[in-house]
Amino acid sequence: MGRTLKSITQVFLEEEQAFARFRRALRRSDQLVLDDLFASARQHIAAAAYASHALPFEVFLLSMLLEEHKEVIRLRQLVEEMQNERSK
Amino acid sequence: MSAASELTGWLLDLYPSPKGGVTLWLIGEDGKRHQLHQKFPVTFYIAGKNEQLRDVWRYLKAQPVPMSLSRTERRDLFSGMTTVLAVEVEHPADQPILFNALARQFPDLTYYDADLQFSLRHAAVHGTFPLAKCKVTIDEANWIQSIEVLDSPWDLDLPLPPMRILTLEPDVDPSHAEPKKLLVRTSRGKYIIDLSISPRAILIDLQSTLSIYDPDLVLTAYGDTWLLPYLLKLSDETGLPLSLNRDADHPIHQKGARSYFAYGQVIYRGQQVHLFGRLHIDIYNAVMYHDYGLEGVWELARITSLPVQTVARVSPGTGISAMQIVTALKQSILVPWHKQQVESLKTAYELLRADMGGLVFQPIIGKHEDVAEVDFISMYPSIMVHFNISPETILSGRHDPETGLPLTKPETGLVPQTLKPLLEKRIAIKGELLTMSKWDIRYKHYKAMSSAHKWLLVTCFGYLGYKNARFGRIEAHEAVTAYGRDALLLAKEAAEDMGYEVLHLYVDGMWVKRTDCSEVKDFEELLDDILIRTGLPISLDGIYKWVAFLPSRMNRKVPVANRYFGVFQSGEIKMRGIETRRHDTPLFISRVQLEILQVLAMVSTDNKLSEVLPKIRNLLRGRIQAIREYRIPLHEFVVRQTLSRTSNEYRGTSSVATAIRQLEAAGKSLRPGQTVRFVYTLGHPRIYAWDLPTLPDTRSLDTYRYIELLMRAVETVLAPFGFSRKELDEWVFDNVQTVPLWSLDSLVNTRSNPLTVKRTLPRA
Repeated sequence: MGRTLKSITQVFLEEEQAFARFRRALRRSDQLVLDDLFASARQHIAAAAYASHALPFEVFLLSMLLEEHKEVIRLRQLVEEMQNERSK
Repeated sequence: MSAASELTGWLLDLYPSPKGGVTLWLIGEDGKRHQLHQKFPVTFYIAGKNEQLRDVWRYLKAQPVPMSLSRTERRDLFSGMTTVLAVEVEHPADQPILFNALARQFPDLTYYDADLQFSLRHAAVHGTFPLAKCKVTIDEANWIQSIEVLDSPWDLDLPLPPMRILTLEPDVDPSHAEPKKLLVRTSRGKYIIDLSISPRAILIDLQSTLSIYDPDLVLTAYGDTWLLPYLLKLSDETGLPLSLNRDADHPIHQKGARSYFAYGQVIYRGQQVHLFGRLHIDIYNAVMYHDYGLEGVWELARITSLPVQTVARVSPGTGISAMQIVTALKQSILVPWHKQQVESLKTAYELLRADMGGLVFQPIIGKHEDVAEVDFISMYPSIMVHFNISPETILSGRHDPETGLPLTKPETGLVPQTLKPLLEKRIAIKGELLTMSKWDIRYKHYKAMSSAHKWLLVTCFGYLGYKNARFGRIEAHEAVTAYGRDALLLAKEAAEDMGYEVLHLYVDGMWVKRTDCSEVKDFEELLDDILIRTGLPISLDGIYKWVAFLPSRMNRKVPVANRYFGVFQSGEIKMRGIETRRHDTPLFISRVQLEILQVLAMVSTDNKLSEVLPKIRNLLRGRIQAIREYRIPLHEFVVRQTLSRTSNEYRGTSSVATAIRQLEAAGKSLRPGQTVRFVYTLGHPRIYAWDLPTLPDTRSLDTYRYIELLMRAVETVLAPFGFSRKELDEWVFDNVQTVPLWSLDSLVNTRSNPLTVKRTLPRA
């Protein structure tokens, strides 16, 4: 109450809400993946608040990308390890 | 008062009489044909500024036509109660003439109920419709004192009146050659009139048939466009009578030919000959006749109240419009002459949200087994009725805050009122057809009715947004698609909640599967749930043994919404967007593709793919051999393409451009909308236009090209079964024998490609 700016959580929920129609028209399996993406963006909500970017959704997109890339790095390492083990 | 008598019979014809009042023709239960008369003054209304209406009043008072004028209040569908000048014309035949003169004199006024088909006025007042069974009381001069309609157009089994039909058919299409003979048929037998004998003999012969047999319906081939005008001309020249009309006081009505643009194409309608006291239908000038036949024409006439001869020759949209007019007249709602509604302004965002069509998913590419196709029955009309969507019920710019769907007024609108009985009749007939044996005597009749209803319901959606429709408004049209998209998503959510995989959504249909569901009863729970969630009637179109959704020709990873084929458990094949369904595919190729589909249709979990593969290969090799040996009639190779531009806009070396140039060199020109036909030939220029004076030499046929086209069509249907084009070519053109069946079976079960094995096995 009494805030001049919306809290970052509010902004996040509104942005997520803005995609409700998009989400509704997806297959159930794709809806769950989309939920995952939003969940990963939420992990960086504190950073997003600190950034106080004019277009918050850009920050949320970057957060999703960040988590995706972390996963890519993790999987890449895993593959390398397995290849190393095999060549032994 | 003179003594009244009673009469029961079927209403054959109804029209304003040139001698005043209305003429009605009844096929009496007594077997006689009765010409009756009835008083029926008609009223039309005029709205405008007071001083203008005073001028109109003065103008009308000076006319010699008997009428009475008054000032009254009537309801306009959009603007509510309106003060209007009512003009009651005593003789209905005078009204159109008076109105046309008036509209020319005062073009700026708003006219209502002014240009209505007469039968609709009679239907609104007396409940009459063509072929209705009526009980009338008449005086000695055959003037009707009261009329009571005994049946309803919504009854499922309306008996046809005992009608006498005369069929007239020339031996050839008159637009190709001069007919030499005329086949005349009645229920008593048939005979042939030689048209090369003297015109007097022809006329005397026909006149005696007309007067002795006295038909109720003259059913002709080319009667509108050639036969009746020809006979009337002969009658004129020789001065001999030809009583095509039963009503001697009314002249035969001839209408000229016209072309119009509808549903994205130019449609040509030939001239028309309407009879009075007797019906005339030309089977080649009747709309959709090939689809629903005479039975469909009767049904349309009954439910739209349009005259039989009119309904046989107009598009279904006119029928829907007629039904709305009758509903409006019955409730004293004014029917506008020129529609003056405009779309109210929308913001860009509203446009973005509103102006979408039906919801279309991208299907999951590939072959799927035990798939149910669930369809909303007449989705758009159902939505109009269920959600009360009508041009006047839409609350402009108001939306439900939760669903975002447009809001409507609580009073039942004009469109839902009109559609409700039609929709109920359609659902009832669909239900009957589902369980009825094909050999039931009612089956054909029900099918025709169902087809007639389908056309009416299809057009009613278009008419909701059509700017020339009397009761159309674009927002109502958009509201319908909005509810449609929502209903489809509700159905999707119901299916997903119950654990179904949604393979595809297409406007009003949904394709779903679940591993434990393969029979009709397995899907009942889902249907019930969708009905509860949406409130719209839904049906199981069928369960596919398998269905294959195909990728785009351009990109193998991109699915296309309306390109699929499959086989229902009944064995029926359903296909969309593949070569067989396309109009430009050579007949031979579509036939082979269909033959392969028919073989594939035998494939199910019980009957393995491997058992039919040799059959397909033999079939294909046989057909290819037939091409190579020139054993297939040349016309089966004709490729058709419809011109979308004028012929001189086709330049360059494309097949179409080449064919056009050949035709032009031979003095034949084509217009947009017409079809150019050609075959692929060897040597320069590789194209031979089919409509040139001489046919191409059979041996010049480009067999390689046709085999290639054939293989592409084959690839379309075999690719979902795991064949690549390369493998397909090797499989068909290789001389290697097929691998033993046992090895294939195991491979099919593990879902791998049966053809990849061939190379790993020793060749025979």
